[in-house]
Amino acid sequence: MKSPASASWKAPLKFRMPAAENLVPIRLDIEVDGQRYKDAFTWNPYDPDSEVVMFAKRTVKDLKLAPGFLPQIVQFIQSQLATFRSYAGQDMYVGDKIVPIKLDLRVDHTVIRDQFLWDLNNFDSDPEEFARTLCKDVGIEDPEVGPAIALAIREQLYEIAIQNVTSARENRINKKGRRAAEHFPISKPSGAALDLMKLFRSSVVRKRKEWDYYKPVLDLLSNEDVDALEAKEERSG
Amino acid sequence: MAVPTDASGFLGRTEVGNDESKIRIPKLTKDPGMENKPRHDPNPDSTRPEEPELDLYTIPSYSSWFAWNDIHETERQALKEFFEGSSISRTPKVYKEYRDFIINKYREDPSRRLTFTEVRKSLIGDVTLLHKVFRFLETWGLINFVAPPPPRQGSDSDDRVRVEDGAPNGVRVVATPNSLRPLLAPVVKGKKSGDGVEESGVQLPHLASYSDVFGDLKRLHCANCGDNCDSGYYEYKKVNFVVCVKCFKSGNYGEGKSMDDFELKDCSEKSATNGVVWTEEETLLLLDSVMKHWDDWDLVAQNVQTKSKLDCITKLIELPFGESLIDSAKGGGYSSSTSMNMIGMKPVCLTSSEHQENIINEDQGYDGTIENEKNGDSENQEPPSKKKRTASISDADSSLMKQVARISTMVDPQITAAAAEAAVAMLSDEMSCPREIFYGDQIDLTNGSLSPTLRADAIGESEIQERSSPSESQEIHLKNSDVPLPLRIRAAVATGLGAAAARAKLLALQEEREIEHLVATVIEAQLKKLQSKVKHCEDAELLMEKEYAAIDEFKEHILGERINILRTTHNTGTAKLLEPSSVQSQTGNIS
Repeated sequence: MKSPASASWKAPLKFRMPAAENLVPIRLDIEVDGQRYKDAFTWNPYDPDSEVVMFAKRTVKDLKLAPGFLPQIVQFIQSQLATFRSYAGQDMYVGDKIVPIKLDLRVDHTVIRDQFLWDLNNFDSDPEEFARTLCKDVGIEDPEVGPAIALAIREQLYEIAIQNVTSARENRINKKGRRAAEHFPISKPSGAALDLMKLFRSSVVRKRKEWDYYKPVLDLLSNEDVDALEAKEERSG
Repeated sequence: MAVPTDASGFLGRTEVGNDESKIRIPKLTKDPGMENKPRHDPNPDSTRPEEPELDLYTIPSYSSWFAWNDIHETERQALKEFFEGSSISRTPKVYKEYRDFIINKYREDPSRRLTFTEVRKSLIGDVTLLHKVFRFLETWGLINFVAPPPPRQGSDSDDRVRVEDGAPNGVRVVATPNSLRPLLAPVVKGKKSGDGVEESGVQLPHLASYSDVFGDLKRLHCANCGDNCDSGYYEYKKVNFVVCVKCFKSGNYGEGKSMDDFELKDCSEKSATNGVVWTEEETLLLLDSVMKHWDDWDLVAQNVQTKSKLDCITKLIELPFGESLIDSAKGGGYSSSTSMNMIGMKPVCLTSSEHQENIINEDQGYDGTIENEKNGDSENQEPPSKKKRTASISDADSSLMKQVARISTMVDPQITAAAAEAAVAMLSDEMSCPREIFYGDQIDLTNGSLSPTLRADAIGESEIQERSSPSESQEIHLKNSDVPLPLRIRAAVATGLGAAAARAKLLALQEEREIEHLVATVIEAQLKKLQSKVKHCEDAELLMEKEYAAIDEFKEHILGERINILRTTHNTGTAKLLEPSSVQSQTGNIS
């Protein structure tokens, strides 16, 4: 009978987004000549780099931005892509990690707050599908909310994946340095993961009082609220 | 466990499963993990008073394998992740807990549709996996079986595709519409398998009704005398009541209506000229001035004082022969013989499809760009390449009839009508029978069987008559015919088809002849090749023979020389005997 630690030990995986599609979340916030361009989207890292330039040109053209935006956009996208790719070859130890994902975002008139668990080991997971189901179940009609939710999820997953890489690297270094026994579990949960043992030991059903924390909370703002919030963001941002 | 079915009105749904019959199963045990909730019997007409603890729920018969205290093979297959022992978070126990919770949650109120979001807040675990379990249960009808289907996603997606002004709020910038660029579009309808059960199948487009298609074309009949109201009619303002001009003038419009209540609606304006009225004098003037000034619309407009430049141009285009005038103004008169065909002046032997193709070319050519210099000749010779073609008109593989049909749908009805008239004129010239049928009643001809609308045609014809240029209308006898309309239609169709068939046969014969001709040519070419080869060989033989003869001669000559030398040496014999070596060597050499 294997001990629980080794039962959950898995061979280290190469870095990738722990979702069905390996897409990079990209966020842009550029200011040139008084014009501010904020955007967030997912990008396929396997696209050739020429696509970046084309996308930037198209964006500048469609949104009628100043031409000074073009090199900036290209540069920002490429730098984020490069960061992503720099993790590419490295080991990312995922193991058996179920992490909490939190949503707290405002898209136009809709404010949504939510919390749920995500299994990094599940490569069938699809943030876009989850976002779609969420919007459908809750009855959100604004078509921008879904993608924003999916993007937020992806960003968090990305963060966690990066943490995994660094922690795996540290562990390896430690291990080398120490030459400790091999059974030292690399699967020691890092900060984000939850202790599955504790979680799944008893019932999988949550206590009633916790139900409200894990359901999506939806707020619809009026126009004035939206304007006020935007003004505040501009000032702070 | 299975109880025979009860067909109580659920049969109307389209479901993924094979068997539509439902099965009622009793809920046997209470799941110990569940909290105590009051359960109400969803079937008030239950006739089982002796088992008060049992509630009856309806699930489809293809899910009859389901058992509370067991996990069936179906579940193991579909949700393998729980049964591989790969993780502490995925065990059969966990699965069972998920399943039982979800089903019980649904059964708290079976008439309400359970959404995934409601259950996932109460369950610990990866949401993707939970969703998979949820979809599994939904597909098998264990939950949401009796609940109403989800709101039609058609309406949602319609809303989602609304066009927005201003930048979407994920993108903050100067206002111009742009969409975010996530890789999955927001308007994708989530037609996942889990939803598949309840959604009724493909939403078919509404079938077009007759009035939709033909509404615009419907002939207005006078309510009084039943005549077609083409020249103009009077519409009763309050009700949909239409009276032709004649009846109006004669006062026969039924009881209870006074003259003032009728509004004159003149068809002539409606169809053609954007509400601008063209009297016949003006049209005459227009044509005259076009003849004189060709291209100079300012002068033309001056001549036709009451109409602006644009009106003149529009009007001229709408006249069936107007474009030919413009055309002839451009490229030199006679080249546009095909355009003249529109009036059927001298029917060149074109098939109707070529005919229409040329018409289209002209039509397209004049769309708004009258200034272009177009040579009529080159138009005829290479119609397709210069004009923009909306579709590949002359696909060699589609049949003639199809081409005709396609082309006639693409152009204005006026043009089609004109083309049809020209074709009819041609046919009538050949045979007398259709002529009687077709040209029996002039009015009915243009309005009834052959072509739908055509105000402009009527005007055109009247003008042609005025200008006394040769046109088909003057060839036509205006006589009343007794031939009834259906027969005319049939005759028209038959003649059309017959003409097409005859033509096809002729073409086929021609093709055959051409084939034969080509084969003969090929054979000839082969023969010629052979002949030349033979000749070549003969020449070579001749050469060889000559060479052979030459060589023979040479041989003899050499032989002669040998003999001479021998004689000479013999004659100078003794002196030479002293030098045997030289003689010997010579003879040795020679022999």
